[in-house]
Amino acid sequence: MNKKTEDKRKVKVLTKEKLDLEQLIQAPKLAPSVAGQSLVRTDALLKVKGSLMYGADYPQEGFLHGKILRSPHPHALIKSINIEKAKMLPGVMAVLTAKDVPGRNGFGAIIPDQPVICGDKVRYVGDGVALVAADNEKTAQEALKLIEVDYEPLPAIFDPRDALKEDAPKIHGKGNLLSYNKLRKGDMEKGFSEADVIIERTYQVPFLEHAYLEPDISMAIPRPDGTMLVEGPMQAPFTVRRNLAAVLGVPVNKVEARQIQMGGGFGGKEDSPIDLGCRAAVLANHTGCPVRITLEREEVTLQTAKRHPMIMEVKLGAKRDGTLVAFEGVIYDEQGAYASLGPLIPPAGGSHIHSMVMMPGPYEIPHVKVDAYLCYTNHPFGGAMRGFGAPQVHIAHEQIMDELAEELDINPIDIRRKNAFKLGSMTATGQVLDQSVGLLETVEACAENFNWDQRYRQTGYIDRQRTKRKGVGIGMGWYRTSIGISADGCGANVYVHEDGSVLLFSGITEMGQGSFTVLPQICAEELGVLFEDVRLVQPDTDIVPESGPTVGSRSTTLMGNAIILAAREVKRSILETASEMLLVPIERLRARKRRIYDTINPTRSLEFREVAARCMAQGKRLIGQGWWAPPPSSLDPETGQGNPYFVYTYSTHMAEVVVDVETGQVEVTDYVAAFDVGKAINPMAVEGQIEGGVAMGLGYALMEEVALEDGYIQNLNLQDYLIPTSLDVPDIKPVILEVENKFGPYGAKGIGEMPNIPATPAILNAIANACGGRVRTLPADPEKVFWAIREAGGPPDN
Amino acid sequence: MKSKKLSFKLNGQKVSVDVSPDTLLVDLLRDGLRLTGTKVGCREGECGACTVLLDGDPVNSCILPVFKVAGRSVTTIEGLSTEEGELDEIQYAFMTEGAVQCGFCTPGMIMIAKALLDKNPEPQETEIRQAISGVLCRCTGYRKIVQAVKTASQHRKSAQ
Repeated sequence: MNKKTEDKRKVKVLTKEKLDLEQLIQAPKLAPSVAGQSLVRTDALLKVKGSLMYGADYPQEGFLHGKILRSPHPHALIKSINIEKAKMLPGVMAVLTAKDVPGRNGFGAIIPDQPVICGDKVRYVGDGVALVAADNEKTAQEALKLIEVDYEPLPAIFDPRDALKEDAPKIHGKGNLLSYNKLRKGDMEKGFSEADVIIERTYQVPFLEHAYLEPDISMAIPRPDGTMLVEGPMQAPFTVRRNLAAVLGVPVNKVEARQIQMGGGFGGKEDSPIDLGCRAAVLANHTGCPVRITLEREEVTLQTAKRHPMIMEVKLGAKRDGTLVAFEGVIYDEQGAYASLGPLIPPAGGSHIHSMVMMPGPYEIPHVKVDAYLCYTNHPFGGAMRGFGAPQVHIAHEQIMDELAEELDINPIDIRRKNAFKLGSMTATGQVLDQSVGLLETVEACAENFNWDQRYRQTGYIDRQRTKRKGVGIGMGWYRTSIGISADGCGANVYVHEDGSVLLFSGITEMGQGSFTVLPQICAEELGVLFEDVRLVQPDTDIVPESGPTVGSRSTTLMGNAIILAAREVKRSILETASEMLLVPIERLRARKRRIYDTINPTRSLEFREVAARCMAQGKRLIGQGWWAPPPSSLDPETGQGNPYFVYTYSTHMAEVVVDVETGQVEVTDYVAAFDVGKAINPMAVEGQIEGGVAMGLGYALMEEVALEDGYIQNLNLQDYLIPTSLDVPDIKPVILEVENKFGPYGAKGIGEMPNIPATPAILNAIANACGGRVRTLPADPEKVFWAIREAGGPPDN
Repeated sequence: MKSKKLSFKLNGQKVSVDVSPDTLLVDLLRDGLRLTGTKVGCREGECGACTVLLDGDPVNSCILPVFKVAGRSVTTIEGLSTEEGELDEIQYAFMTEGAVQCGFCTPGMIMIAKALLDKNPEPQETEIRQAISGVLCRCTGYRKIVQAVKTASQHRKSAQ
């Protein structure tokens, strides 16, 4: 991107002090450039006034209310279904079963293996068996009770290892192994023979709920011209459109998917809008009326995707000085009832393959072997959740690194310093990291801000009663930018108008992460206008170019580049015209802050809008289109060798905890997290991602678990499914480092998911450091911590 | 259930509506009165997105039977900024401190912060964290929300 700095690695620590209020408001006017400024979000004003419209805030007049009849069984055949009584209920407009789906009766982000309406069998508690539309919500609810379904329960599977057994019931008619992937590097026998120490551990993580605060909603509106509009919160409008077209049996260009701003997504609203959208659209198509489906919180938990649970077996070998020599891992990755975003089917790279690639951690290890099994079960299904398969495996590699360090009596920070990726390192897939590798910088910045060296030695009891022990923990991580492995790309359009105002068209959605602020910043920077001159158009598949889904920490980097390319097409017209108007050669001109000026004689200048008006008058092009795809990726199916992702974000976290050895209660008392983000386009937004991601990782460590018993979720609402409150989360200190990514807009890499990932193991390592007890099956709730301390020999003496 | 007449003060204005006694306050606000700034996240008083003020105290409007507000004063997020659009200090601080991400908890969070600052104009950090613990936020990690409440407190003080 920037030739001058391409081979020069630039490290800059941004100040953690905030700008004062005056500066923040003035920033767009005073700043030397727009990209890199902590600008206030474009949607903040509407949000603080409560006037931003979420899906549920739209008027309900004219809509029928859709409801889903759900399976009460984890695995059963549908023998018969009687809808006659339900159809007779006054106010009911439609009761639909599988035969009423006009096109393909299946949807899915990668494989369409989930029925819109189940016909012959159900595969999890919550599967959709019939759909109802009525003129009010209550009637629709009543109608569900009148549908009679005769089920024949089948034996069900709730453990991925059971799913692989030969006599296991076949959930989808074929084998339950949805995907088997392997990674092979070096020679395992040689590797482990060179090791002075070998340790083996098993770690286990449960299903996790996204717990975005806004429950799902979808509105489908059939139009007289035969097109179908579907509106709602959605992270992936193009995936919704593709699925809807197939389900309705119409060409893709007859479906329009429009994103309404989301009250949180975290990967969950990649899947669920496909599900709800298809069901609402089938009802709308059948009745000819607009249909709205809203989910209650319990339905969200019951129906939608979760973070994959995993059982991870790890064997790690090292030399006495801590040098890693061999890593062997096995992942039993539970997919649940449907494929969702689990498997790898080009052009989509599933979470499973990502887990495999990430599993050995951000360390140089010469000999690596990973076997990863993705299995169907009769549980709810795993989808995308902030980290896409990476948080789970980080819990394994970061804990085993600490267990190894303990075995070797090495400071956990030193064993990481010794093995961490640096410029030129080779990953387990054989990828040479030839640019933007700031991992070691994050270790040092984090250690300095946290004061690791001193605090690591000061663990122990902190109270006279000798019940509370303090400890510190470290977690390191890496995460891709982009979907990778196969196809990925983003398109953007930039329109400049005769008054100098700008419209920006992008299909990247806003779920809270701040893309609707960061993307216009990049556009304004490249055009040389002010931030407030750019208006971003709400993503709508009829209006914006194909952009792929808003996932994979890809938005700023991929869409940012597409916007720059689009803006440059317009800028060419602007600069050519300005050159004619000023009689100054084009290469001497610069566009900045609404002015086009001669760099030799800056007094010779024009206003951006004057030039735009002249372009318009002369019939010159003011429309720009950009498309950016990352460098090609690769991964050999037999060896798992290749370059799966084009760039990685790196991070180090340090946590301090206080553990009550009598109750097992854990309090996280301090936290520092350092990141190499390439370039922070909006540092305040980056901090927001860091602080929120760490809080989510804390929940994973200490309290979150979708509790399942025989396939039934026990904690459907937020009263029972606990997420961190303001009392659980410490004052997280973010540290932002910038090691330029030569493929990024102004050097940027992704940041959305990374903060969530090392947080969980950092806290688990701190607990072990504090009290000697290590929890290897999450979450580390008081009971598990209590027993872990006893298993380790009871509360320490000193 | 048969509708009955309900009178109360809403954002400073007297209102009188016919409403079924089994209605919950949040549904009256959102569906009956079209004040959709108050959000629904769980319908069991857990997430706090539906927080409004009842005579200055924060309440979960999703579990509050509507006749509990008879003759009393209800303040929602819509009642915080002036008709001319001037923001409350808390709203302003939430914007500038980056305390807003997805925004779904924001109205409830701002209301609970207002209840705190009206009673305790200069709260300590622990008091802020205690007060806002009734509203869940999945996006921010709370740090910038706590900071925004501190900033609003300072601004209120310097405006006096």
